[in-house]
Amino acid sequence: MATTMAGVSLSTPRALSPATDSPKVHAIKSSWLNNPWKRSSQFGFVTGRMVVRPVYAAPDKISDKVEESIKNAEAACGENPASGECVAAWDEVEELSAAASHARDKKKDSDPLEAYCKDHPETDECRTYED
Amino acid sequence: MAICTVYTTKLNPACSSFSTPSKTHLGFHQKQVVFYKKSSSRSTRGTSPYFITCSAGDSQTIVIGLAADSGCGKSTFMRRLTSVFGGAAEPPKGGNPDSNTLISDTTTVICLDDYHSLDRTGRKEKGVTALDPRANNFDLMYEQVKALKDGVAVEKPIYNHVTGLLDPPELIKPPKILVIEGLHPMFDSRVRDLLDFSIYLDISNEVKFAWKIQRDMAERGHSLESIKASIEARKPDFDAYIDTQKQYADTVIEVLPTQLIPDDNEGKVLRVKLIMKEGVEYFSPVYLFDEGSTISWIPCGRKLTCSYPGIKFTYGPDAYFSHEVSVLEMDGQFDRLDELIYVESHLSNISTKFYGEVTQQMLKHADFPGSNNGTGLFQTIVGLKIRDLFEQIIASKAKTPVEATKA
Repeated sequence: MATTMAGVSLSTPRALSPATDSPKVHAIKSSWLNNPWKRSSQFGFVTGRMVVRPVYAAPDKISDKVEESIKNAEAACGENPASGECVAAWDEVEELSAAASHARDKKKDSDPLEAYCKDHPETDECRTYED
Repeated sequence: MAICTVYTTKLNPACSSFSTPSKTHLGFHQKQVVFYKKSSSRSTRGTSPYFITCSAGDSQTIVIGLAADSGCGKSTFMRRLTSVFGGAAEPPKGGNPDSNTLISDTTTVICLDDYHSLDRTGRKEKGVTALDPRANNFDLMYEQVKALKDGVAVEKPIYNHVTGLLDPPELIKPPKILVIEGLHPMFDSRVRDLLDFSIYLDISNEVKFAWKIQRDMAERGHSLESIKASIEARKPDFDAYIDTQKQYADTVIEVLPTQLIPDDNEGKVLRVKLIMKEGVEYFSPVYLFDEGSTISWIPCGRKLTCSYPGIKFTYGPDAYFSHEVSVLEMDGQFDRLDELIYVESHLSNISTKFYGEVTQQMLKHADFPGSNNGTGLFQTIVGLKIRDLFEQIIASKAKTPVEATKA
């Protein structure tokens, strides 16, 4: 990555007017033409860009519950896949998976580096690099 | 002017605590509410608190309903919507850390899972899903949304998604805009009638599967099989109780696989439809070039270069569940900023307050899912339309304050 520093992009999307309602259109200045939103692909498969970002796992308690609920659902459906018991068990898997995902998002928001970079996107430690 | 109303309501025993909020945090509503319990010695079937409200203002809470299945982008939509109104939406301060509520200056978002009548164990015992109306207390949902709409604070239960239990209730004060989001905002006709505007997020099966893989594959214990099994097991209830609500929505955002790439099944590029009902008060549909015409537009060409696979828009009148609608469709994704601003400048009736506001909102939340495609674009536009609707309702109330309070 160090060899491609020429392609450095100093942009982070958070640089944009956080929480202000200023009627100025910061967004369409040409300095933003290096398309900072590109990093947020719908599926997280960021193409053509390397974003160094820690992988967040959901808090262990919920992760354990998700794992356990899947085992329970598989067991509950072994006997009768159309039973209410089976359907309710898979619904519990969905509910816990969604809760785990929300917990990951929450944890991400409370990451001290992420919080710092929201306010100081220009600093070295907050830069993101294109490869 | 003082108007008093007496409500007699049976509340969920979990919610019948006493509270006397005299004023909301906004200083906007000036109603008082007193809860008191009748002696329950004669009746063992729960409590029947009466509450009396005295209104001295002409304020009213506007209620928005957002329906979608679990894992289909309700949270992202809520973050985009509250951002349009300015200020971050946060959980109630000092409350239950597992509260599902989000509060900002103008907006309070409540999650309808809080009206589960059966907790996780209860559903397991009875063999019903959370999608099943039998697992939800629509009477309480109606009473509380109605009370909030009338400017009365309520003690709303909290469904804890981690423990699967109903936690002690939290106090919800009437906001300017109340958003009820969840599985069933349009299921019960009484609740539906309280909505000033409603949205349904309709995610096609292919995309739902792709999104859940993205969400869950890293989670321990999950596999393609478990993700598929969960979707398939829930599908009969989803079709019976959730999907049927889309016919009532004022706006539907439909998310489908792209048609720009032949036989694409990766689900990375999306085709998104914004279906807007005609004739909805305070809501005029967005259009492309010429209102009411049928238009197919590829913005990429001589004036604008797009990256593969390009972008395609279509617009035109249509019918949706025998309602007259306008449909705006975007296939493809924005890979460059000039693509986004070029598209914005060709759309009309998007209720922006200045040139480039949609683009600014999209960039501000570039890290949210869908910021480079039709889901982000249309969610942002719907957010602006809701702001416009809210401002129009407030303006019309200001013109006829007496009529408004009588209503």
